[in-house]
Amino acid sequence: MTETPAPDVASPEPSQSSTSTATAPADGIVVRGVARSFGTVHALVDVEMRARAGRVTALVGPNGSGKTTLLLVLAGLLVPDAGEVRVGGVDPLVDSRGARARTGWMPDAFGTWDSLTAREVLETFAAAYGIERAAARERALELLATVHLAEFAGRPASVLSRGQKQRLGLARALVHDPDVLLLDEPASGLDPRSRVDLRLLVRRLADEGKTVLVSSHVLTELEEMVDDAVFISRGRTVDAPVVDARSGRRTWAVRALRLGALTEWLTSTGAQWRPADPGFTAPDLGAPGGVLIEVAGDEGAAQLVRDAVAAGVPLTSLAPASGSLEQAYLALEEERR
Amino acid sequence: MTTQVTLEETGAPQPPSAPAPGVRRSGTWRLGWSGVRTVAVLELRQRVRSTRWIVALVVWFVVVGAITLLTTGALGALSGSEGAAPEDTGPLLFSAVTFLVLGLGLLVTPTLTSTGINGDRNAGTLATLQVTLLSPAEIAVGKLLAAWAAACAFLVTSVPFLVLALAMGGTPAWSIVRVVVLVALLLAAVCGIGLGWSALIARTAGSTVLTFVTVAGLVLFTPLLFGLTYPSVTHERDVRIWTENASGTGCEWETVTMSVADTQHTWWLLGLNPFVVVADGAGTAEGVEENNFYPDEPLGAIRQGVRQLRAGETFDRDQCWSAGPGAVSPVPPPTFSRAPVWPWGLAANLALGAVGFVVAVRRLQVPQRTLARGTRVA
Repeated sequence: MTETPAPDVASPEPSQSSTSTATAPADGIVVRGVARSFGTVHALVDVEMRARAGRVTALVGPNGSGKTTLLLVLAGLLVPDAGEVRVGGVDPLVDSRGARARTGWMPDAFGTWDSLTAREVLETFAAAYGIERAAARERALELLATVHLAEFAGRPASVLSRGQKQRLGLARALVHDPDVLLLDEPASGLDPRSRVDLRLLVRRLADEGKTVLVSSHVLTELEEMVDDAVFISRGRTVDAPVVDARSGRRTWAVRALRLGALTEWLTSTGAQWRPADPGFTAPDLGAPGGVLIEVAGDEGAAQLVRDAVAAGVPLTSLAPASGSLEQAYLALEEERR
Repeated sequence: MTTQVTLEETGAPQPPSAPAPGVRRSGTWRLGWSGVRTVAVLELRQRVRSTRWIVALVVWFVVVGAITLLTTGALGALSGSEGAAPEDTGPLLFSAVTFLVLGLGLLVTPTLTSTGINGDRNAGTLATLQVTLLSPAEIAVGKLLAAWAAACAFLVTSVPFLVLALAMGGTPAWSIVRVVVLVALLLAAVCGIGLGWSALIARTAGSTVLTFVTVAGLVLFTPLLFGLTYPSVTHERDVRIWTENASGTGCEWETVTMSVADTQHTWWLLGLNPFVVVADGAGTAEGVEENNFYPDEPLGAIRQGVRQLRAGETFDRDQCWSAGPGAVSPVPPPTFSRAPVWPWGLAANLALGAVGFVVAVRRLQVPQRTLARGTRVA
């Protein structure tokens, strides 16, 4: 949990990844040394990041770390005090219109014009992007179907629930088929079904070659859809020890029919374990229960299962205690203390 | 779920030393009809659906109608038992309806635009429009057009009563056209002023109050200021007064020192007033008799009054009235000042509206460098 990889010495090239495709350097999002203050509040101090086309990049950070400000800069709404930004190969400060044409931005709080119907909202935005009326109508209906709001096409946006509005906001960001998608907390307020839909949609868009930057602090949700992660803390991008899920050392939750049998065996093997849910009373050793244990990779987990079963421990489950993003995030928090 | 997560290169943290980047704003004043129409249709749709639009228009119609009828009745009662000729009450009624429509219009119109930009910003709908390909000018023009169309709807609802007053006679037919056009242009100026304040002020209540204060400044403070500056432009001066000579056969002059107000320096304060603009531009009672210096109906009287104030006092004054025939003072008889005041006042009002509009466009530019105090972008 405390292992920290050597900080990547500033190299402008993105780190190698298994699925890296030969994309033109102009594609995606490039941010270099961006700073932005609001009066005495330094929302962004020094942000360095790159999001590549065809991949989903997570923007992870605690509340108030500057995620939304960074997305506003990328969406072409704010001028940074310093630094450089390229969105889809275009500098929003030099060619604001060109950058806006390539960027789809979904704000965290999406206001709607309450008296317009869902279809009219999308048609208005299509018109605002210069799409012909007939094409706009078609595009609106297509997008409403994509986000499963087709039956609400004729209803005023004001009657939509929070999650439905969120989906309408996503459709709005997609109306002009942008190359770069900036999603600010897209999953907040979504029911589980919609989250799965969102994940599939985001993956599909990335597979179509779009650059997707997703900000969130709901990490389990992010983990299911992202390829890369950028950590931001107090206005700076920071190195975070992201553990490779397959080989890295991470915490697993082990459960057994009788807690006593499990702890006895673990102690006898000399393993370092800790109670899964520290309660006020001593756990009943005869009842089902679980512990947390550090295991090195999937191989180590398989070994643990084999040994436990061989030792006659009535094992019921073995699963990662938390996602690797969450572990990295928590490590980040620990470092700050 | 075993999603591979790789860490992006982040670079060593170092204090940013690059100079603040420059911003090129080339498309600010881009204007396309489809963009303007998109915003205007959006605004009108919202307005028509969200407020009780028909109710508002009906209330307006009833109020203007009721006051018109009451005025007609009151005028009839005042003119005594013999009954006034419709040619006399017609211009009076026309003046009353004109001022009523202008006054109510100036009361209603500020609310149409004074929350146009900060209201949208608070609702979180402005930024989503700003990131589209709409230019700041298109957004501002669309909002202005929609608000102006709404204001004009009220104006059009009042036209029947102006026609009624016109039908009673005594008012030239083109006056109604001139009044409607002038009121519409003045309301457009108010729309522009409101839009400017709504772009400058973060809170909707603040911008609404400031828009009303601006309109009140034009309507109330201008005559007030004119009155307050009156003493300071009044000076003791020698004036040549022509009076009848002792024998009563001719005129002679004497120099008298008296206080004279140089209103030619302050008349423009009155000229700024929207009511003066409409009264002066209405073109009523153009053909009154030579000696009837001030027409009986208010619009014409205001026009003559302001025009005379602009001309200022003359050096020679003729009080040689009762002398016998042949005794004529060389003072030329006072003439109608035909120099209109309204183009000046209208231009000044429209200029204020234009300033508001330009402020709005500049404030709608993205990316933004500065934010209004207490606002979030999105």
